[in-house]
Amino acid sequence: MIYYLLMPFLSIILVILQSTITDVIFFGRLVFDLSLVVVIYAGFRLDLVRGSFLAFVLGFVFDCVAGSVQGLFTFIYVIIFLFSFFASGRLAAEKMYIIALFGFLCAFLEDLMVILFYHLVFKFDILVNVYLVLIPKTLIVGLLAPVFFYMMRRVEVFFYERTA
Amino acid sequence: MFFLRKCKTAILIIALLVIALTMLSFNLRYGAGRGFFSKIVLEAVAPLQKGLSTSVKSIRDAWLRYIILVGIEEENKKLNKKINELKAVVIQYQEGYLEAQRLKKILSFTDDYNYHFIHARVIGREQAGLSKTILIDKGTIHGLKVGMPVIVPPGLIGRLLDVSWHASKVLLLIDENSNIDAIVQRTRMQGIVSGAGSRGFILKYISKTQDVQEGDVIVSSGMGGVFPKGLLIGQVSHVERLEASLFLKINVAPFVDFSKLEEVSVLASSEKRTEQQ
Repeated sequence: MIYYLLMPFLSIILVILQSTITDVIFFGRLVFDLSLVVVIYAGFRLDLVRGSFLAFVLGFVFDCVAGSVQGLFTFIYVIIFLFSFFASGRLAAEKMYIIALFGFLCAFLEDLMVILFYHLVFKFDILVNVYLVLIPKTLIVGLLAPVFFYMMRRVEVFFYERTA
Repeated sequence: MFFLRKCKTAILIIALLVIALTMLSFNLRYGAGRGFFSKIVLEAVAPLQKGLSTSVKSIRDAWLRYIILVGIEEENKKLNKKINELKAVVIQYQEGYLEAQRLKKILSFTDDYNYHFIHARVIGREQAGLSKTILIDKGTIHGLKVGMPVIVPPGLIGRLLDVSWHASKVLLLIDENSNIDAIVQRTRMQGIVSGAGSRGFILKYISKTQDVQEGDVIVSSGMGGVFPKGLLIGQVSHVERLEASLFLKINVAPFVDFSKLEEVSVLASSEKRTEQQ
């Protein structure tokens, strides 16, 4: 129960942290998609119910704070979580290059869905954004995902050792 | 009952996806700014974002002050020279303005600018892939409403997308979701300015036979009643005549750096002004 109560607050903090890092480090030019990495991580570590809720809440908060179309990231994050959850059984999470590639793939999938949506709904020019938005962002997520997985593993080990 | 228990997880996931899709279609159908929960989230985000932005800004300012000190003398000389040049330009403009005022009086034009400004501080810059929004520290209790134009003098930067009690989300003009009716100041040709992310804007639906040149100023047309007429949007940076297209491909450079917005002004409606008076 505590998990579900804390989740919205932690999601808000995560999204704020993400936007601040994007602003400070990349001056708003590139997107530091930490929330997507968290959703991917949830696919590997959480069960279907908790993970889906996390992806839904995180997507909703992200939509409220950053998105211009309410519901878009809420939907995409749940899809990414499900993709990550079903892929986790077939992937070796301890191998960093696999996580990097999988993070890259998920970010690619996310941006593909966003760009397709914009193209279908707003008749928006796709090709330019593939170079300007999609590739840099997927590369950042691909690099960030193994670091995040490694850090979370250390945190898990730390807490497990303390409780054991 | 057994079926429901067995498929509980699947039903839950399908329900979450349906809710997300419903929100999406609702938003596309009726526009943003109607959700109670999104207001709650914005309200919760505002103080945290404000605190974090203030801390980051003070650290950044201290660092920039140190950097700026290097070579400030050279910069000072250049700026003084620039000021003298601009003074001459301002005098010319003042003359032009006074002349326009006189002509306006003669032609009995009514004053359309029956607006008042509500000034706000930018507390967060949210850049999610293709969408470009900012958060400001004013909301409904300060008189803001969804759809109000947001400006940084002398021009337009966006409109209010979502308004909570103490904070609001601004959809910037560079967002791909943003479209505004505009005119080329020199030729008075009308078109639609659409956001193009980091590329600035694209001016659409200007016929290939029309004369649009690099450097032409684009201003709001006032059509639709959302944005007042004559607000600066940007300057034409590139014009291309494509063989296969009926229209010109026009890139427009914004007059402001959207990544450096700190304070903005919201144009409140004339009705509001009357209410307050």
